[in-house]
Amino acid sequence: MSTTDVHKAVQEAVVGALGVSEDEASPDATLMDDLGAESIDLLDILFRIERSTGVKIAASDLGDYIQGGIPDDRFSDDNGIISAEGLEHLKTVMPQLDEGASLEAEHVIQHFTVQNLGDMVAQRAAAGAGA
Amino acid sequence: MPEPDLRIRVGVDIVGVERIARLASEHLARLDTVFTAAELEYCSRKRRRDDHLAARFAAKEAVLKAVGTGLRKRMQWTDVEVVRDASGRPGVRLHGEVAAIARRKGVARIELSLSHSAGLAMAGAIAICSEPSDREWAA
Repeated sequence: MSTTDVHKAVQEAVVGALGVSEDEASPDATLMDDLGAESIDLLDILFRIERSTGVKIAASDLGDYIQGGIPDDRFSDDNGIISAEGLEHLKTVMPQLDEGASLEAEHVIQHFTVQNLGDMVAQRAAAGAGA
Repeated sequence: MPEPDLRIRVGVDIVGVERIARLASEHLARLDTVFTAAELEYCSRKRRRDDHLAARFAAKEAVLKAVGTGLRKRMQWTDVEVVRDASGRPGVRLHGEVAAIARRKGVARIELSLSHSAGLAMAGAIAICSEPSDREWAA
């Protein structure tokens, strides 16, 4: 499955699970803030993606992907604000984020977009194909 | 100011029964990643299965809010299991990553209340915390 096909499958999953239009499920739409996805909707989206692409992603994988394996105490400071190391990693998985922003680790998932999810699935699909 | 010895944290959640019914009908084979075998078996014996599934999903969310964890880490939905005691009163059994987080945060006990009516299921959880303990949450 090509990267384009993966992104198409992710958009279809978002449309099907949330009942939004393809226009609304644009690449830069955030799943939670813009499209109103709740945790049960995320489950639905991930199950649909698994069915159409074969890529299995658990809801908690989103957090792992965002944090990139950086331990909690290095990803954010004592006030829960994302550290310089955390921001450096976020540039690779959520490049749309404002570099100068003061982001709370707890809320960063709210900025996760349809494009970010597509990139994650494409990365997993490529890793699976290469395994 | 020093923190008091006893702290409580509250979590509530509400879930539309229709939403969980749709999830269950479209992804029946994947429900075991959300509910434990015992939860699925309990709900399957109920005439209004989806009401009970929705209440359990709301309970998982409520407990996670009370414990203070989100969709991070290696957490599984099945890490929070709704159980019933002999009198039918609901309780919580924690497993895996959520149990580890609860231990670190000193959660000593969780009280749970469930309700469903008019197409909605609701759960409220109160986590009672003391000092971090080694309590073994998993049965």
